[in-house]
Amino acid sequence: MEWTTTQHVWLVLGCFCVAFAPRLIPLLFFRTRKIPDWFNEWMRYVPISLFTALVVKDIFITPTYSVTIHQIPDMIAAIIVIGVAYWTRSMAISVILGLLAVFLLAMFL
Amino acid sequence: MGKFAERSDAGAPYWKRILDASLPVDLSYIPIGLACGILLNASGFNVWTTLMVSVMVFSGGAQFLIASLLATNAPMLSVLLMMFFLELRYALLGSSLSKYLHDQSLGFTMIFAASMNDENYALNYLKFSTDKKFTPKEALHVEHTTLIFWTISNLIGSLIGSAINIDLTIVHFALTALFLYMIVMQLKNGLIIVICILSGFLAAFFMVLTKSTLGLVISTLVASFIGFMIEAAIRKHHPKSGWLKSMKNPAGTPEEDVDNE
Repeated sequence: MEWTTTQHVWLVLGCFCVAFAPRLIPLLFFRTRKIPDWFNEWMRYVPISLFTALVVKDIFITPTYSVTIHQIPDMIAAIIVIGVAYWTRSMAISVILGLLAVFLLAMFL
Repeated sequence: MGKFAERSDAGAPYWKRILDASLPVDLSYIPIGLACGILLNASGFNVWTTLMVSVMVFSGGAQFLIASLLATNAPMLSVLLMMFFLELRYALLGSSLSKYLHDQSLGFTMIFAASMNDENYALNYLKFSTDKKFTPKEALHVEHTTLIFWTISNLIGSLIGSAINIDLTIVHFALTALFLYMIVMQLKNGLIIVICILSGFLAAFFMVLTKSTLGLVISTLVASFIGFMIEAAIRKHHPKSGWLKSMKNPAGTPEEDVDNE
């Protein structure tokens, strides 16, 4: 079944709600309250844990949620991106070289 | 491009300072936004719905997910459910930024929350933690600058997608590369590297276990909590431990000063 544009509009509105609520509620909750120190210290480990989880999902997890190690071009390109990011500290260069690497590797592997 | 974000030329006009601060994300949004626009177009979104989703949802991961789920004809409810689990992580981002947004008005908080996402969060978090003079208003304008770049790239991608044929799996890697970049930017000491590796294994474990992106949320909570507990234990028993010592970095990014507050 093809989706109609009206359904797409409803989908976007629904997505807005489920995306907005988790962004707003913690900011609202801590807006006037004093945030406990232990909570701030815990939150400092959130970005690293989250971004790693997202990368693992992209590279090692299949759409049906089992582990795979067969996405060789992505794995090699990921290592290249890590190296480029470490040495250049540039987000744009990292992304563009990463795309280029995965494109070339997918072609030759 | 990292140098743009670090230069603090106070004499430059306001809009230029905001643009400089947001430039790393703005520039990488061009390929990723194009990629996302192309994928959305392939899954049936037209230019107007693409405009709507990029302003209202404004999340690379979420929009890529919408595109891939629509391509497999998933029902509306399951798309929304997946979105909810994916977007739950923003609760963690909001919590970790909240200390810098203390005592802002309700309206400001709502507008700020509406356009906060992984990338501008990373920018603003770094800015807040290294630049004491950085204000919530500037952070909001950084968000909106990234939003403009994102939306325009999405729209152009949507138009390109309707004109030519592109390998979508490669396009998807743009987002993975962006997350990898952000991981590398966070690796400041031995303990963080350990937590990073641990988080990777936990993520795989919990995603296979839950068969959904809920695994992402669980592994993030568990890994970050373990990091917090280990750090507390090290600070208590071995305050001079090398695990918490900052590593040198090749480009010389300013140190975070959150510890000295």
